[in-house]
Amino acid sequence: MVRDSKHEVLPGTLNLLILKTLATLGPLHGYGIARRIEQVSGDLLELNQGTIYPALLKLEQMRWIKTKWGTSENNRSAKYYSITPAGKKQLAKEEEEWERTSAIVTRFLNTAEK
Amino acid sequence: MTRLFIFLSRLRGLFLKPKLEEELAAEIQSHLEMQIDDLVRQGMSPEEARYAALRKFGGMDQVKETYRDRRTLPWIETFFRDLRYGLRMLRRSPGMTAVAILSLALGIGANTALFSVVDAVLLKSLPVRNPEQLVIFEWKSGRPFRLSGMSGTSNVATDPGGRGLSLFRYDVFQQMQKTQAGSTESPLSDLFAFAPIKEITARVGDQPEVINGQGVSGNYYQGLGVNPILGRAITLDDDQRNAAPVAMLSYQFWEERFAGNPSILGQQLNLDQQSFTIIGVTPPAFNGTLQVGYYPDVTIPLGAEPQLRGELSNLGKAPDAGVWWLNVMGRLKPGATQEQAREALSTAFQTSALAAMPPPRKANQPAQIEPKDYPRLMVEPGGRGMLDKRKWFAPTIYGLFVVVALVLLIACVNLANLLLARAALRGPEIKIRLAVGAGRWRLIRQLLTESLLLATLGGIVGVLFAFWFKGALSAFSNNDNGLLPDGVELSMNWRVLGFTLAVSLLTGVLFGLAPALRAANLDLNSTLKQSGRTTGSMSRLSKGLLVVQVAVSALLLVGAGLFVRTLYNLQRVNLGFNQENLLVFAVQPEVNGYKDEKLLRFYQQLFDRLDHLPGVRSATFGKVPLIANDNWFFSFLLPGEVEGTAPDRDTMRQVVRENYFATMEIPLVRGRGFGPQDDSHAAPVAIVSQSFQQQFFPNEEILGKHVIFNYKKHDVEIVGVVADTKYQSQRKEIEPLLYTPWRQEAAEIGLMHFTVRTVNDPAALTAQVREVVRDLDNNLPVTEIGTQSARSEKTLAQERLYARLFSFFGALALILAGIGLFGVLAYSVSQRTKEIGVRMAFGAQAWNVISMVIWQGMRLVLVGLAISALAGYALVRLLNSKYFGPDTWQQRMKQQLYGVTISDPLTLIVIASLLALVALIACWLPARRAAMVDPLVALRYE
Repeated sequence: MVRDSKHEVLPGTLNLLILKTLATLGPLHGYGIARRIEQVSGDLLELNQGTIYPALLKLEQMRWIKTKWGTSENNRSAKYYSITPAGKKQLAKEEEEWERTSAIVTRFLNTAEK
Repeated sequence: MTRLFIFLSRLRGLFLKPKLEEELAAEIQSHLEMQIDDLVRQGMSPEEARYAALRKFGGMDQVKETYRDRRTLPWIETFFRDLRYGLRMLRRSPGMTAVAILSLALGIGANTALFSVVDAVLLKSLPVRNPEQLVIFEWKSGRPFRLSGMSGTSNVATDPGGRGLSLFRYDVFQQMQKTQAGSTESPLSDLFAFAPIKEITARVGDQPEVINGQGVSGNYYQGLGVNPILGRAITLDDDQRNAAPVAMLSYQFWEERFAGNPSILGQQLNLDQQSFTIIGVTPPAFNGTLQVGYYPDVTIPLGAEPQLRGELSNLGKAPDAGVWWLNVMGRLKPGATQEQAREALSTAFQTSALAAMPPPRKANQPAQIEPKDYPRLMVEPGGRGMLDKRKWFAPTIYGLFVVVALVLLIACVNLANLLLARAALRGPEIKIRLAVGAGRWRLIRQLLTESLLLATLGGIVGVLFAFWFKGALSAFSNNDNGLLPDGVELSMNWRVLGFTLAVSLLTGVLFGLAPALRAANLDLNSTLKQSGRTTGSMSRLSKGLLVVQVAVSALLLVGAGLFVRTLYNLQRVNLGFNQENLLVFAVQPEVNGYKDEKLLRFYQQLFDRLDHLPGVRSATFGKVPLIANDNWFFSFLLPGEVEGTAPDRDTMRQVVRENYFATMEIPLVRGRGFGPQDDSHAAPVAIVSQSFQQQFFPNEEILGKHVIFNYKKHDVEIVGVVADTKYQSQRKEIEPLLYTPWRQEAAEIGLMHFTVRTVNDPAALTAQVREVVRDLDNNLPVTEIGTQSARSEKTLAQERLYARLFSFFGALALILAGIGLFGVLAYSVSQRTKEIGVRMAFGAQAWNVISMVIWQGMRLVLVGLAISALAGYALVRLLNSKYFGPDTWQQRMKQQLYGVTISDPLTLIVIASLLALVALIACWLPARRAAMVDPLVALRYE
């Protein structure tokens, strides 16, 4: 099957994706988040999985997510991330921001076509 | 707020690095394993799964690096890394490192020590409550304003033709106090007065001794906000004329004389034969508000002063209102200003001051004075006590500070040269680092860290040196030499240490910046190609710095030379009398109540014993001690003149025993000396010095002439002329001097300075002399006992100070410059090994090479000397210009020299030769090494 060239994750949107993932799925470990992003995007996003970790660190420093070591399904110990109330607020803000930005661009593109 | 969170978490990341590193590894490990599991479940083999998982993960190291950078504070980590690297580099060239650190340490140490002097003398505030609220009162007036008398020191700057004092009379103070206390809206919350009471005879144990005292108004301690550490303070109730006399002790006095025993409260203390009750002890840090260097051992209320001093009371005996002797201070209420305080008391002051004016002394002076000459009240900030004396010390201290700063400059220049040399040495290494992508700024930062490291190490060692310097400076603690007042403690407090740190850091940055910038900007291409060989062995900057070093050293050394010669000249001044083997001391029988006949008899008895003491050749006394910065002068009239019309005429005076001239070995030139016939029943006579005759009776026979002193209309007949002697100091010109015999001056000889010519060492007779006095009156202390030579030396304290300090710093500067010269030349030689090898291969002899290197160095020295000559010339022109009035410190500096001019050729030649010699040695050592280069080895080196 020929795949369209994969899109790289836009810098900055990674935060949004992670927060949304955690908000939807609840506490998850790093690998889980990476897999989820790959899945939901229909494997169209090329994600170097490792890049998720610096992003997670940043989100943790901003107090939008918190961490706790726990055990995974396969009895491995893993570090679990969960979203905080502040994170939820940030998520809402970024979602709105994203929608507004894309609406403006879409409108522009539409008017330009005319 | 989030920034704070991030910062805190990064800080945590810095400290918990190992643990967090483990966590990251574990997390990544578990991630990979989970990914592998999934892939295996999808059907891959474990091998393929592993491979795929790693690929999906992405660049492991990059991820880790990014993670780490975010987790911690990168700049701190880089900083520590730079530090470690810097330390390694320093260890690699220990010689140069040691030299740089030592140079810096000496410079920084000297500056720190001197700053502690500045701090202790000029900056410290009084240890009282809210010193910034304190104000000191002074006043100015026109010349015609008359005083009923004055006692004390005051140094208020005035316009010429004016008068200014920081001293007040008691009744004037009381008027001001009434005004202040009487108004609830007064800007002052307290107004109090204080003054020194010098030389009180105290009886502690069985020995009488002379101590320093102070008189204060009742609200002094309350106004200052000082609480006693024992007992209670003097209050307004104690300050009444009829109150029981009480006294407070200073902490030091209490510790030393009473062993800190608390039971002294309530005990009696015998002061000037009066009994005072001890009521309290002041805290250790509080030394009074008086002139710096004067520390009162006891404090009594002003009301008790007449009781203490009796006839000599400064408060006067009614109707006489006394003299102007009190310092007045006030405390401003919060929010009030100095100007408000001045206005509030101005009228009260002026009215009472005018009322206190005595009638005119000269017939042609009007009784009333014009309003333009009225006394006007002034206010100064008082947080640091009486500043007058401090201001006197200020020029010397600041001048010295400049000198020391110059020395530090030289040391820093050494540091800079060292760094420059090393930076050039590391050229290739730096280029490679730049080539592989290190940021230029990053490189500069690293080089700067190295220089800061050097500077800080220099600072730390410098603090050690500072302690040592401080000890040496404390030895100069002496009220006379203008540097350090007596008893001022130099402490290493935070201010001083902070200063040191600031200087170190500044040095490191300033003098590390230039080399760092240069190094990072070296042309990439050229240096890489030449693989380490630099063209031209010394940068222009390096040469320039060296020249500056030489110039500064030369200036300092010339200063040293001039002052040393000044001191030498002063020590050899012809004093006009023989000061060898003279024991001197003072007694003040008037304090114990001796006067008139009793006083004369006392002295006679004392002489009877002294004359017969074994080891004594002859004993005499005079009212004024010689070469002790003391004087006593009066105005007088020549025969036929009338007061009021005659010009103002003064002469120095002296009262002596009959054998004075013989004992002091002052030759009699005309007429006769004093004899036993010159007593209180005979006509008053006088003997004058030659300069007196030359000035006042140049062309006439002087014997038999009369002069009349304005004071008490004292009429004396001149019966003899003696040779001139120096009187006040070695330096002061000889002024006319008039002697009178002691038996005819019973009212003036309450305090006399004895001089005893001994057979052998005068100091050996000290104990016996004390005993002789004690036998006559065991309540009479012997003060200022020592040898005349020692006293004369003490008068030269300031000159000695300058000579020593300039010599020390000049030598230091020279050593530093020599080291610098050596270092730079040595480096240059090491860079030019190939070139030297080529020269030698082409036939140059050893001496060719040596002279080449030496000339390289000496050329710079000569330029430096030339510059210093120019600078010196400019300095001399500056000092000579009319721009500075007679009272400024510039003029005073110029007058410091004696017997030499600033441009003294001998001094200049000697110093220049000395410098050249040292420079020659500094050049010769590397030159010798250059000559030992083996051409074969040098050329092979590539």
